[in-house]
Amino acid sequence: MSGARETRIFMISPDSMITTDVLARAVHTMADGVSVKETCYGCLAEADPEVMAGVVRKVRESYGNQVFTKRRGYPAGDPRRCRAQHGTRPGYSQLEAEWECLPLIQHALDEIDAGDEKYTAPAQRKPLPVSELKKICEESE
Amino acid sequence: MKVFIDPPNSMILFDLVERFGHEPLSSMAVIQEKVDNIEVDMPPMNVTLDDVVKGLKYAGVEVPSGIRGRLALWGPMIEAADAAIIIEDPPFSFGCVGCDRSNELTKYLLHRRGIPLLTVAYPETAEQAKTLVASVKEFLAGLGASA
Amino acid sequence: MTIRIAQLSCGTEYSGVQFEIESAARAVGAKIVYPDVSYSQVQEALDRFGFRPKSPQLQLMIARAMSLADEKYEADAVFITTCFRCAEAALVRNELRRFIQEHTKLPVVTYSFTERLKASQLLTRMEALVTIVSGKELLARERQTGITAGLDSGSATTKAVIMEDNKIIGKAWTTSGDVVQCAEEVLNEALAQAGLKLDQIEAMGTTGYGRFTLGKHFNAKLVQEELTVNSKGAVWLANRQKGEATIIDIGGMDNKAITVRDGIPDNFTMGGICAGASGRFLEMTARRLKVEIKDLGSYAIRGDWRNAKMNSYCSVFGIQDLVTTLGAGKTFEDVAAAACHSVAEQVFEQQLQEIDVRHPIIQVGGTSLNKGLVKALGEVLGEEPIVPENSQYIGAVGGALLSSGFLGD
Repeated sequence: MSGARETRIFMISPDSMITTDVLARAVHTMADGVSVKETCYGCLAEADPEVMAGVVRKVRESYGNQVFTKRRGYPAGDPRRCRAQHGTRPGYSQLEAEWECLPLIQHALDEIDAGDEKYTAPAQRKPLPVSELKKICEESE
Repeated sequence: MKVFIDPPNSMILFDLVERFGHEPLSSMAVIQEKVDNIEVDMPPMNVTLDDVVKGLKYAGVEVPSGIRGRLALWGPMIEAADAAIIIEDPPFSFGCVGCDRSNELTKYLLHRRGIPLLTVAYPETAEQAKTLVASVKEFLAGLGASA
Repeated sequence: MTIRIAQLSCGTEYSGVQFEIESAARAVGAKIVYPDVSYSQVQEALDRFGFRPKSPQLQLMIARAMSLADEKYEADAVFITTCFRCAEAALVRNELRRFIQEHTKLPVVTYSFTERLKASQLLTRMEALVTIVSGKELLARERQTGITAGLDSGSATTKAVIMEDNKIIGKAWTTSGDVVQCAEEVLNEALAQAGLKLDQIEAMGTTGYGRFTLGKHFNAKLVQEELTVNSKGAVWLANRQKGEATIIDIGGMDNKAITVRDGIPDNFTMGGICAGASGRFLEMTARRLKVEIKDLGSYAIRGDWRNAKMNSYCSVFGIQDLVTTLGAGKTFEDVAAAACHSVAEQVFEQQLQEIDVRHPIIQVGGTSLNKGLVKALGEVLGEEPIVPENSQYIGAVGGALLSSGFLGD
């Protein structure tokens, strides 16, 4: 693994009031040697892995469950992945879809932070027994 | 601990695993390794014929090249994982995880390794989201301290 | 003008072939682009299209095709490509090709790749896409004017044609060897027939594998891939310049199946992985049977392929089967028919499934002189193909016809 850089996507949950420029500026001030690019969903940041670890920690301290992050394989602005070069890459739709789900995750995290860690195990879905289906069919005749 | 996430490029899983104190094993890391290799000039991903041939370890030559190429990259991570979390039927799974056959094989290989494995449903309601987040937290806590 | 080729694909990056695809496009002055679609468009597109593949990347392909059909994204041509041996992708690839043809006027080519794909294998296809887009005016030419020559440097044979005022006045062919030497030989012979000297040729067009070398050597006005050139030659020879047709050219090294509308190709496939499905197989059969290749067809039409069992399409094992059959007392005629049937069946199974066959079917190229192969293809397709006179000269005729476009009327 390359130790030279770490590129991160920081994505703001759609339910958050934080704006992309506020986040981008804040990330910029969190450490020396971090480069930041504001994007439509939040920002892209790039730094040495050790520096980035500090930035991630600070983002979580400052914005809690409103900002999510993952690594990105390509450096920021890499022409191999840049949308302007070819059109969108497949991963773009993926990010868009996950972005839509973030409010649910955000609020679930809020509840857990508030001490409520209870959850219901998902019920096993089972097909309707044939005898039941037969009964329904007969009843609806 | 090293936790393989599936889909391996999921932001939600990557974030949660890291948030709860473990190291997510993701496709982004392995792609970075590829794209940062200045000795190879095969944009956009620097996946080469050699990589796809390495994928024969996981699937035979009658299996499409895209599957072997993916497994060549993810296989070593699956082998290195101490645990894994799988989101079942995510509506999002483009790009790295665009091939359903590769995704199925990945899940199978994780099962075969016999490591602690959590399978969670993709949430559509607040209650399901709570189930996902809380069960991920519980699962990760059960793994012990991060290595 | 850079031609924008929209790529609808699955598996190219993880197969390590995306770079090769882009190199091939760049080499012919085109650029690969991906139609922009949002996540919600993907869901809408799947509902509209009615086919919901399990693989999300294939879903994305559908949404991208929809965006082209709706003219939300601008492109000049479409390249649809997926992993070889993926059944799910093969279904989507073919249905999307059909969808693009029904809903847009964009030329489209489909391709299934393995990890060993190299840019050179795609060059001819990419070049043809670019020619169809950028050479529309030239390709619309239906009459040859002035005195022009066409040279077709193929893998098996080299052909030359001299044309004057829309008529063939000289023609010659030879088996391919040294590209320039063979071309000079056939050109001189064709010129002699026409009673002309080289300096009287006003324009020349070259095509086939040796087109670049010959184009440079003879300072040709037109140097163009064989897909578009052969299409024009075929419709001119068959006098089918208007309307639809399918052109089938079983060549020495690869086979082409091209659908045309008013003489201009809008979809084509080129196959060249297996020698057992090419003219080369017939040559090998003839050699093994110790008959002249030109006589193989007349043996074949008198035989019945059902009497000579072939257990393999392979050019090695298939021929072994034929020889064994011969040893068992079957006739030359049956064996020759079986060889022709095997080639026709493979072309049908492996190539014609990638296009929608339009009628009439025009069979061209050197192998169309083999009556046994024409009969076999007719049996497999359920329709007798048209074989125009001089059908082996399609490339050369196309070259002479199109190069006259540079003369000015």
